[in-house]
Amino acid sequence: MAQAVVTASKLRLVFQVGMDDEGKPVLKAKTFNNIQKSAAPDQLLQAAQALIGLSNDTLSNIERVDNADLLA
Amino acid sequence: MAKTLELEFVTEFGKTARLSVDNPKEPIDESVVKAAMEEMIASGIFTSTNGNFASVKGARVIDRNVTEYEIV
Repeated sequence: MAQAVVTASKLRLVFQVGMDDEGKPVLKAKTFNNIQKSAAPDQLLQAAQALIGLSNDTLSNIERVDNADLLA
Repeated sequence: MAKTLELEFVTEFGKTARLSVDNPKEPIDESVVKAAMEEMIASGIFTSTNGNFASVKGARVIDRNVTEYEIV
């Protein structure tokens, strides 16, 4: 059976920085590399909330980005 | 005028690791920043090539000013 082995994890915070002419939100993402591959969603959320608390930007989304190697 | 808040951590191996936050809340409240940094360490998700984050080193605001000149 094929396996996916996570090689790197990232935490991505998406902020809404304004509106464009058509009223669509303008988003800006900030990525934090070097996240523990074993991090649980609760832990990620805890860290993300601490980070967001320091910024004036309005949060839109918190994402986790995983890179994985596929092995046959 | 783009400001970033740079958070400095000490890793397990005694090296410095940095994270930056865009558009920080001002004025900077040192105790709030410290609490947020401790929360990030407690979450245990951040790592680096020099080990996991172990303690708070410091924080600073970097103010980047760009003046463009039109040279004809």
